[in-house]
Amino acid sequence: MPSDNAAAVSAFIEGAPPGELAEVIADIQKLTVNEPKLLASVTPAFQKYNEDQLWTVKLPGSGQNVLISPYNALGDGKYYDIETQKSFAFDHQIQKASDVQPYTHDSEYSDLISSLLKSFSTHATEHYPSATYTVCPTPTSSPTTTTTIALLLVSNKYSPANFWNGRYRSTYLFAPASSTLSGTIHVDVHYYEDGNVRLTTTKKVPEMKLEAGSAAEVVRRIAGVERAYQEELNRGFGRLSEGEFKGLRRQLPVTRQKVEWEKIGGYRLGQDIGGGRSR
Amino acid sequence: MSSDQFDSALDLLRRLPPHSTAANLNRICALAPDLTEELLSSVDQPLQTRQCKKTKRDYLLCDYNRDGDSYRSPWSNEFYPELEDAEMPSERVRKMEVRMGEAVDIYRELYYEGGVSSVYFWDLDDGFAGVVLLKKTTPKSSSEGGWDSIHVFEAIDRARNAHYKLTSTVILRLSTGNEALGDMDLSGNMTRQVEQDMPVQDDGSHIVNVGKLVEDMELKMRNLLQEVYFGKAKDIVGDLRSLQPLTEANRDKATHQEMINSMKR
Repeated sequence: MPSDNAAAVSAFIEGAPPGELAEVIADIQKLTVNEPKLLASVTPAFQKYNEDQLWTVKLPGSGQNVLISPYNALGDGKYYDIETQKSFAFDHQIQKASDVQPYTHDSEYSDLISSLLKSFSTHATEHYPSATYTVCPTPTSSPTTTTTIALLLVSNKYSPANFWNGRYRSTYLFAPASSTLSGTIHVDVHYYEDGNVRLTTTKKVPEMKLEAGSAAEVVRRIAGVERAYQEELNRGFGRLSEGEFKGLRRQLPVTRQKVEWEKIGGYRLGQDIGGGRSR
Repeated sequence: MSSDQFDSALDLLRRLPPHSTAANLNRICALAPDLTEELLSSVDQPLQTRQCKKTKRDYLLCDYNRDGDSYRSPWSNEFYPELEDAEMPSERVRKMEVRMGEAVDIYRELYYEGGVSSVYFWDLDDGFAGVVLLKKTTPKSSSEGGWDSIHVFEAIDRARNAHYKLTSTVILRLSTGNEALGDMDLSGNMTRQVEQDMPVQDDGSHIVNVGKLVEDMELKMRNLLQEVYFGKAKDIVGDLRSLQPLTEANRDKATHQEMINSMKR
């Protein structure tokens, strides 16, 4: 039974909308007053949430935003950021960073990573009003070789005063040896004024082969993928609005007249609905 | 404590993904079993359909036509599975229920061109109350959609008027996908309330009044849903990521501002 409850609490955390984890936790705390240790027992769920969502955290001291992911994890709740050359401890439950230390990550692709970071940064500032991003080699079992480089970006906009929050995040993996690029894009929007409306999208970017595999080419391809995706998403809105939404309920009957409830007994289905203009 | 927990449960359900409301509701009820009954009667979920054995017509299930594990069909007034000593509306209220059910069925055909509707009324000390339910789903294909309307109202008798209080929820689920887009799910629910006094001459007036209230509310809510789903949500995506390069966008903004300033001079 307790494990069922832990699974329930983990599911709540996983479903937390962008920028609303604190509110979700507060609700869980009230619902589990009889089991005060339950929340503390689901640390893996918090870690999964923070890493999956590319959680953005401000580093104490510098005020720099960095992100949390499985790719820049050092183990034992520690993470690092390539650009600021810092490592830090991260508390997954209260979502705060501490113990900031200087940190240099050595990799055979150090030069490529810094070129990628530069190009990716230009791309991020060009299309995201408030993005946090990083480029880092993915951890491998053998510390001397890296096979892929992760390019991560998250853009959050929280507007709780207007009852909406949103998050756009993308993860790309570039393999320098084979010069291939693949990735995933997620959009998550929550609108909750007198209701609960959620947009969730998942786009897998299939593996593509690059020509030279230069930093500029990698980011150019990413920019192309993202532009095409956003245009496709806008078409998706149009398709649902013009197709499914209109097909579910008309704005007005075919007659373009509201129902005459006083005479509703006199409506004859075939005539009044099909070619009701005679009425 | 318990009402505190109830509020937390509702807040949680208002935040978690609307397409998993049923699963999350079960999880909350397992965590806090005391809340089960109150939550089941106040959280709206997509309506289920069942066939009336007597009339072979589909009807919708909700807490208001439920008695134990049985649900009353509005078409035959019988409970399925069969039930002895079930609580029934009074004769007068059942008569109005039948007339409203027929009227809503026509309304459904005019606006939904398909789907299922059901109307349930029950007696109150100083009037009556009811629920008008409408449901439609689009056939499964690369895009899918589902609409559930739940209109709960009270009609309280006043001298020559009735005071109506209507609470309406629409649950709208939409999804689409293909290789270029991947998966896109746009789902949710919105609730609105309205109170109004309307003249009443006889029981027939209630059919007209409730019909108008529901029709106006659905028109308002359809516009609202359109605005939130296809306006607001799309705008927020544009706020997260700008299709136009931001340097260009900012340059356009500056030019625009300059024009406004020059006109002010």
